[in-house]
Formats: sequence, structure tokens, C-alpha cells
Amino acid sequence: MELRGVVKILDQIYKVGDVVKAKIIVIHKMDTGFTKDKESGKVFPRFYMKEITATYNGATVAHFDLDVATSQNPVIQFPLKVTGPGTLVVDFVNSENEKAQKTVAITPAG
Amino acid sequence: MERRSFIKGSFALATIGLLNPILFRHGLSAAEEAIEIPYNDLLNDYLAGKKAEDGSSIMSLNIPEAPENGAVVPVEVTINHPMTADNYISNITVLTTKNKVNKAISFDLTPANGIAYLYVNVKMGQTQDVVILAKTNKGQIFKASQSVRVALGGCG
Repeated sequence: MELRGVVKILDQIYKVGDVVKAKIIVIHKMDTGFTKDKESGKVFPRFYMKEITATYNGATVAHFDLDVATSQNPVIQFPLKVTGPGTLVVDFVNSENEKAQKTVAITPAG
Repeated sequence: MERRSFIKGSFALATIGLLNPILFRHGLSAAEEAIEIPYNDLLNDYLAGKKAEDGSSIMSLNIPEAPENGAVVPVEVTINHPMTADNYISNITVLTTKNKVNKAISFDLTPANGIAYLYVNVKMGQTQDVVILAKTNKGQIFKASQSVRVALGGCG
């Protein structure tokens, strides 16, 4: 299954030098490896979102190591200091090494 | 009769042979999977012999004390600490104390973040504490925690 995720900047209007908040939502299971299917009794294997890396104009600004105590469909917000127009590239890697990438444009006003 | 059983037998063998990589892979991953990570192990790994300072004065936590559902507990932390090139928070880690796997997230920051802030959703199996650990680039470690009362567990 293809990984689905959303990246957006929460602030509507911002200038160079402002600190904005970026929000990441990943549609992904966070199976712990302990839960069982109620009907068949099979254990759901451990399957989770593992790493998220955010890169802003070529420099890594945030790196997240997730584990199964994060809730299903993880939501993360992190701050970012705007230094100029550019793109924020976010890479997702899950525990099966499936990868996905999302980008969002950063366009400061003025 | 012999021929028939031979064909049957060989067919069964071939099927097992075909399925075997799948079975083996599943068996192996199942053995790796059921690893509980106790809170004390994670804490000792993070501290690495150092002592944690009380960070409740510089950290402001925004965590509901009694969330409706343990499956999604929003954890919001803001750390009042300078974020300059030579003095900044380099890592924020969110742990729980009584889940089977207690590590929720580890966030590596850089001065490009501007402020030290993190929002993340955590799941909790029972009433327990959320522990926030923060490390500066100089190796100082701050710790703060809050108790969360969970009526409906979220870990299955």
C-alpha cells in the first residue's frame, strides 16, 4: 500500500525571520506486535512508521524517530524559522522500509 | 496406489517448499516483534550515566489530565530555552512509563527551528505518566513529567 501523508504550514501569513509551525500527518498503522485479531486470534505483526526527516532548502531541520507508543495515524507539529522562500521536503520511512516524500512550498510575504 | 501417493507426497513437499520462505520470514519477524521496552531501560539509555535536572520550570506542558480515549493523547511541549548556534536544545524525547513499549518519539532539533516546541499524539494503555526529556548540545538533560488518567486504554 502506498504511504499517504500530508505536510502543511499552519501559519497563513509570515515573513522572513518568523517562526512558523509545520504539521505532518501520516496515514499509517502503529501495530505494536502485541495485539491480536479478535476473530482469528492471529497476532498483528509489528508495523509502524519509523523515521520522518524534514529538509528545508537542503539542510535537515528536523528528524523524528518514532516507535509504537505514538498513536495510530501520527500527527506531529514542529517549529521552523523561515530564512527565505524555498521548499520543505519531508521523507517518510516505515518499518518495512517503504518510502514516501512530500513537499510544501514556503513563500514568505513581502 | 504407490504412484498416486508419490505424486501427492511430492506435491505436498513442493507446496511446503514454496511456502517455506514466507513461513520462515513470518516466524523470524514474530520472534523479533514481541519485545517489551521498559521505561527504566529507555531512561538509563538516555541519561548515559548523567543526572537529569528538573525541567518543570522551563518546560510548559499541555497534556490533558483525563483524556476521553487512551489511543490518542495529544502531548504539547514548549521549552523556554535559547536556540542560538552554540546553545540550543538538540533533542526532545517523549516517553510513557507503563506501556509495553514506552518510547513514543525522539525529535532531533537544530538552531534552524527557532524555538523548542513539539506536538505529538501518544497512545497509552493505562493510567501512567508522560515523561519529557530534553537534551542541550552541551549535554545538559532536563526532565519533566505529568500524570495522565486513562479510563479507556488504547493499546488493545
